Amino acid sequence: MLFNSLEYLIFLPIVFIIYWLLKNSYKKQNILLLISSYVFYGWWDYRFLSLIIFSSFLDYYVGQKIEEATGEKNKKRWLLVSLCSNLGLLGVFKYYNFFADSFASSMSTFGWEVNDLTLNIILPVGISFYTFQTLSYSIDIYRNQIKASRDIVGFFTFVSLFPQLVAGPIERASNLIPQIENKRNLNVTLIKTGVFQIFIGLFRKVAIADNLGIYVDSVYGNYDIHNSSTLLIATVFYAFQIYFDFSGYSDIAIGSAKLFGFNFNRNFNFPYFSKTLTEFWRRWHMSLSFWLRDYLYISLGGNRKGIVITYRNLLLTMLIGGLWHGSSWNFVIWGGIHGLFLSLEKYTFSALKIKTFNAFGYIYTFIVVLISWIFFRAPDLQSASTIITEIFSFNYGSLFIGNINSFINALLLLSIGFLIDLKIFRSDIPLEDYGVRYSTVRLSVIVSVIILMLCLFYSTAENFIYFQF
Amino acid sequence: MNSEILKKLLKIVALTLLISYGLDKLLFFSLNKISDKVMTGQAIGKLNHFLSLKDNTAFLVFGNSRANRHIDVNIFSDNGYNMGVDGVGIAYNSTLINTLEEDKKQLVLVHIDTKNFFDADYDGSDIRGLKTKYQRDDKITQALDNSDRLSLFQKFYYCMNYNGNAIGIIKNYFKPSYDYTTYNGYDPLSVSSSQKTMRDLVLSKANINKDCTDKCEVNPLALDYLKSIKSFTETSPNKTFLFVTSPMYNDDCNSDNVKFSALMKDLGLTYWDYTNLYKNKKDNSYWKDPTHMSKKGAEAFSLYLLKKYKASKN
Repeated sequence: MLFNSLEYLIFLPIVFIIYWLLKNSYKKQNILLLISSYVFYGWWDYRFLSLIIFSSFLDYYVGQKIEEATGEKNKKRWLLVSLCSNLGLLGVFKYYNFFADSFASSMSTFGWEVNDLTLNIILPVGISFYTFQTLSYSIDIYRNQIKASRDIVGFFTFVSLFPQLVAGPIERASNLIPQIENKRNLNVTLIKTGVFQIFIGLFRKVAIADNLGIYVDSVYGNYDIHNSSTLLIATVFYAFQIYFDFSGYSDIAIGSAKLFGFNFNRNFNFPYFSKTLTEFWRRWHMSLSFWLRDYLYISLGGNRKGIVITYRNLLLTMLIGGLWHGSSWNFVIWGGIHGLFLSLEKYTFSALKIKTFNAFGYIYTFIVVLISWIFFRAPDLQSASTIITEIFSFNYGSLFIGNINSFINALLLLSIGFLIDLKIFRSDIPLEDYGVRYSTVRLSVIVSVIILMLCLFYSTAENFIYFQF
Repeated sequence: MNSEILKKLLKIVALTLLISYGLDKLLFFSLNKISDKVMTGQAIGKLNHFLSLKDNTAFLVFGNSRANRHIDVNIFSDNGYNMGVDGVGIAYNSTLINTLEEDKKQLVLVHIDTKNFFDADYDGSDIRGLKTKYQRDDKITQALDNSDRLSLFQKFYYCMNYNGNAIGIIKNYFKPSYDYTTYNGYDPLSVSSSQKTMRDLVLSKANINKDCTDKCEVNPLALDYLKSIKSFTETSPNKTFLFVTSPMYNDDCNSDNVKFSALMKDLGLTYWDYTNLYKNKKDNSYWKDPTHMSKKGAEAFSLYLLKKYKASKN
């Protein structure tokens, strides 16, 4: 079920009403949330519910075993069960074909022909997200940072809670399980901030991102016939398309969760207002970047084992982060570019003894991010390199506009989105808390205006970009 | 959730519905006022222009961008209009044809894109291109209601009629794209010298044979719309209908064309298939891209078509 669908518009109020009718028993509310979450997910493909149930059951059981185990060795053994099972599932469903294909290609370069090893595997929506969520749960128990859950319904709800099930934010057990295992309350602040964030998210996704996507798709679909200026504009549009698409999704997720009394962690914090790439990663897909930092970078030794190991860890973390997004060399290179520039930044800061760049840092950061997005968006490595070559050939003739209405709509909505971001960014109040500033009447007016903007500018996209990950 | 919070929540919902409904109507009627005066641009201008002159025109062309770019109406008549619009299909065209005055004597050319008739995914959503006239033109409203292609919300939020078009309408209101009094709807494509190299490259890679199969079936929805035109031809004895497919650069898939010709014969409609008219000519100057002819190609084709039409009358 998509957040921007009629089904969700019906589903959300129904679950909301029944949920608060059950306010006297948070356990009954959890049962409702669990059933609703499975309906939400099953709407897409009920067959893959078995994977979520398996993953939930595995970590519920392993979590208790880790806690009960005596001695480091036994704890580690149970942790390995969780790691191998979760990563194994991810490996089969997400990476098997990639590695099989890469193996066959590398063999053929040595003159050995290998039969086609790839399989017809469907990638279950959200598998990368809930796998990371359950992994962090087991690792946190192993690190003695949280207690294992003894409430099976609560734990299953933690894994599958519908607002964050298919594309995050990747919630930590330490934040979400205590909320699930306790009574939730709804207050005016949660309603206002939740409603505001849901509608801002819808506007970001349905109006801005989807309109930008029309232009981006038309150019990237025929990248070989476009000149530098068109490819550059399309890449800039894509940078904002993916931002508004994913942050819009996160806003709807966080806003929806608030209506059920949950506080999710922030996932985006105006990433394009960053002076360094390091800062960008503190603002972009924060639940993933902090996950990678806490469970991968730090596990590899972080910056505690000397400068060379630090750079290696940064690079490795970002390469794996890239691979997390998808089984393609494009994503690996995307992660590699970020890892490389993060390492270079670290070196520059320590050599120049500075903590950040001046205002030019905004431009530098945006350019690095922009170049890396080409690998993210291009269908394959060959096309990515063609696009980059064309952009840097400085063949800046006339710009391909395509349908002028679509182009102007995209530009106008991008400007509105940028101004809204700038206003909230400069106010120093997080978007997550912004709705509380408004009276009921003002909030209703703002929501009404957004509804009208959606009526005038909605564009139907198949999916959210991050669903493919 | 206590009663105070419930009250607050209901207040937000009620106010939002009320305010958004009021603002929607305000905006909708303002946009109506503006759009009625717009006669240029693809957003609504061309449709307004067509609706204003459709029953006083001797020759009309319906179809998609290929009709728009390939049929020079001036070659046929001093009083003609090309209603070809980018991206539309048979649902859009059938609806517009059904708005014509039945008794009026006219030559109506319907451009057929054979591929669209065999597209299993065709769902008639191109009819949404007429949504700016929803609840403003009876025949179009009825066709849109029957099509089931409009959002449920459209009955509550009228502004959705202007989805994706508002900016274009406002732009054309303040700054018309062209002088509509001298515009006949035909938009030829010219190829600049800088575009020639790219055009030749694209043509050299052209292969419109990708999804060719003998098993193709006519899309039932497209067929329904075609039958609706057929019914209209029966109630309009003064009109002459001509169904034409204009040339493509390199269409190796002939099975759909053959099937479609047979279908048209069964329906008793005059259909001329010129998909491969210039296939062996291999003159790139006739083309803008593999599916669109250049101005030169379009004018040559229009003259050829006129000759054929005159010959068929004799």
